[in-house]
Amino acid sequence: MTGGHRRILVVEDDPETAGQLVEQLSTSGYQVDLATCGNDALSRGAASEYAVITIDRMLPDIDGIAVMRQLRDDGIAAPFLIISALGEVDDRVRGLRAGGDDYLVKPFSFIELLARLEALGRRSDTVAKETILRVGDLAIDLISRTASRRGKDIDLLPKEFQLLEYLVRNEGRVVSRAMLLQHVWDLHFDPSTNIIDVYVGRVRRKVDDQQAYPLIHTIRGIGYSLRAPG
Amino acid sequence: MLLAKTLTSSTFKLALIAIGTFGVIVSAIFAYVYLSTSTFVRSRSDRAIMAEYMNLRDVYERSGREGLIGLIRQRTSDRAFTGHVYVLSDPSSAVLAANLGEWPPTAMAPSGWTEFRVSPVAPEGGGSPLVRGMIVTFPSGDRLLVGQDISDLDLFTGQIKTAVISGVSLIFVLAGVASVLVTRRTVGRIEQINATSRAIMASGLDKRIPLRGTHDEWDRVAENLNLMLERIETLMGEVKQVSDNLAHDLRTPLTRMRGRLEKAYHSQRFDEGAQALIGDTIADLDAVLRIFTSITRIAQIETRVRTEAFRTVNLVEIAREVVELYDAAAEEKGSCLTMIGEGEVPATGDRDLIFDAIANLVDNAIKHGRAGGDVIVASETVNGAPVISITDDGPGIPTNQRDQVFKRFYRLEQSRYTPGNGLGLSLVAAVARLHGARIEMSDNSPGLQFKLWFPAPGT
Repeated sequence: MTGGHRRILVVEDDPETAGQLVEQLSTSGYQVDLATCGNDALSRGAASEYAVITIDRMLPDIDGIAVMRQLRDDGIAAPFLIISALGEVDDRVRGLRAGGDDYLVKPFSFIELLARLEALGRRSDTVAKETILRVGDLAIDLISRTASRRGKDIDLLPKEFQLLEYLVRNEGRVVSRAMLLQHVWDLHFDPSTNIIDVYVGRVRRKVDDQQAYPLIHTIRGIGYSLRAPG
Repeated sequence: MLLAKTLTSSTFKLALIAIGTFGVIVSAIFAYVYLSTSTFVRSRSDRAIMAEYMNLRDVYERSGREGLIGLIRQRTSDRAFTGHVYVLSDPSSAVLAANLGEWPPTAMAPSGWTEFRVSPVAPEGGGSPLVRGMIVTFPSGDRLLVGQDISDLDLFTGQIKTAVISGVSLIFVLAGVASVLVTRRTVGRIEQINATSRAIMASGLDKRIPLRGTHDEWDRVAENLNLMLERIETLMGEVKQVSDNLAHDLRTPLTRMRGRLEKAYHSQRFDEGAQALIGDTIADLDAVLRIFTSITRIAQIETRVRTEAFRTVNLVEIAREVVELYDAAAEEKGSCLTMIGEGEVPATGDRDLIFDAIANLVDNAIKHGRAGGDVIVASETVNGAPVISITDDGPGIPTNQRDQVFKRFYRLEQSRYTPGNGLGLSLVAAVARLHGARIEMSDNSPGLQFKLWFPAPGT
C-alpha cells in the first residue's frame, strides 16, 4: 500500500475544475490522484491511503456523501473535504463537521482549499501535549487561557483568546476568514460584512502594538497568518 | 373547547333559526288541531244540550210550570238521562225541581251559556264535575237551567292539550340535540382541517388531512385539499430542485472562472498593473458570488421546513456571541454595543440561522444607527415567549416603509450610500418565518427597536 501525508484523492466530475485542482495541488507539493465519478472514487479510495479526500457533492452517478459513507464503512479513515455547490443550508453537508470532516462551498478560492487541506491533513498527526504554546516572543497558556509577549500579559476576551489560539495552532499557515468563523464562532456561513477583519484588527492591536515585530499578518484576499520573523 | 366552538359555529346558529321557524309552524298546526277538535267536541255536546233545552222550554210554554216540574222529575229518575243537569227555580231563586241541591251560585246570568262546577254528589266521587248548561228566564220570572256533565269532554281536550304540548316540547328537544350533534360533527371535521392547516404552517407541507373513509362530502373536501397540498408540495419541490440546479449549474462555471483567474494571479507572468486588475476582478467576482449566495441562501431558508436540525438554543448565549463579534465594529464607529439579559432564554430553532438573523440586525443597528450612539441587544422571556430586541438611537425607519424593508434589495433613501446589498432584512424575515417568530418594529424615538418574538418552546 502506498501512502503518505502529501497524497490526496480529488473526486470531481467537471474536467476543467478537476484539471485546475490537480495542477495547483501538484504545484503546492501534493501527490494527486483524480477520480471523475463516484464508482471510480470508491475503487481508488479503497486501494490507496490518502491524507485527505476531496469530493464533489453532486457526482453524475452517486451522491458524494453516499460515497463518503461507503468508504467510511469500508474502514477508510482519511478525512473528507466535501465540495458542495448547494451551500451551507444543506443540512447533510453541514452535519459533516461533527464527524471531523470539512466542507467548502463552490466556487472556492484555491488558497482557501489549500488552507483547509492543510488543516485536515495535519489533524491526524498532531497531538496537543504542551499546555503552553509559543511563537516568537508570544506565549499562550492553554490552561489559564492567558497570553503574553515578552512576559507582559495581553488582556484578551474569551473569543479573542480562542482566535489567537487558533492562529497559533496554525502557525505559519494561512487561515481564511471562513475558517476563523467556523472554529472560533462555530458559524458555517460567511457574514458578508468585513466583521472578521474588524475583529482581527482589534486582536492585532492588542497583540502587536508596541512590539518588536508584528505576528499577525494579513494575507490579501483570503485571511490571516501568524508567524514570527526569521 | 369543541362544545364552545360548536355553540358559536354558524351551522349551529342556522340550525337554531331552522328549529325556531319549524317550531313556530308545528306549534301553529298543533294549536289548530287542538282548537278544532275541542270546538267540534263541544259543539256536539252544545247541540245535545240545546235540543233538550228546546224540549223543556216547549213543555213549559205548553203545559206551564207544573208540566215542566213533572217532566224534570221524570227525567232525573230516568237512567238514560244520567249526567244531565236540570234546575227550575221561581223568581225568588227557590228551587222547584232539580237534580242539584241549589241554583249554582256562579250561574247568575239571566240567559245564555254557562259553565260551572258542582260539588260532588258523593264525597268519594273524585273531582267536582264540570257542567255546561243553558239558562233561560221565562216571562213569569221562573228560571230554567238545562245542562250536561262535560267532565269527560274536558278530560279529553285536556289530554289532547297535554299530548300537543309534550309533542311540541319533544320535537324541540330532539331538534336541539340533533343540531348540536350534527354541528359538532361538522365543527369536528372543520377543526381537523384547521389543525392540519396550522400544522402545515408550523412545520411544513408533509401533513395531510385524515380521511374517515365515509366517502361523504367532508371526505371529498379533505381529498381535494390533500390533492391541492400534494400539488403545492410537488411545485415547491420543483422550485427547490430548480434553485439547487441553478446553484450547481452557475457555480460550476464560476468555479472554473475563479480557478483560471487565480491561476493567472499566482503565475507571476504579468506586470503589476495586470496583476492588480486580476486581483480586483477576483474581488468583484467574490462580491457577485456573495450576493448570489445570499439570494440562494434566503431561497433555501424560505423553502425549508422545520427540520431535525432544530434544537433548544439559548437566545442570551447567541446574542452574547453576536455582541462580542460586533463589539469591535461598534467600537470602530464610536458606538457603544451593550448586551442586557442573563441566564437562559430558551427557544427552539437553528442556532446558525438565529445567529445570522441577530448578526444582521446588530450590523444594521451599528451601520444605520447614530455614529457614537448606543446599540442595545436584550433578550428575555416574556409570558413564556422568548424575545430578543435590538435597539438603536439612529434615524429609525419611517412607519410607511417598515414593511418594504423586508423585500429583497430594498434600500431606504437615507442609507443608499451605506455599504450593504439590501438582503439582510430579507434574510431576517426568512429566518423569522422558518422559526414561526414574529417581527415587531417600533419607534425608540429616536431610533428603532426591532423585536423578534419566538414561539414559546415546546409549542
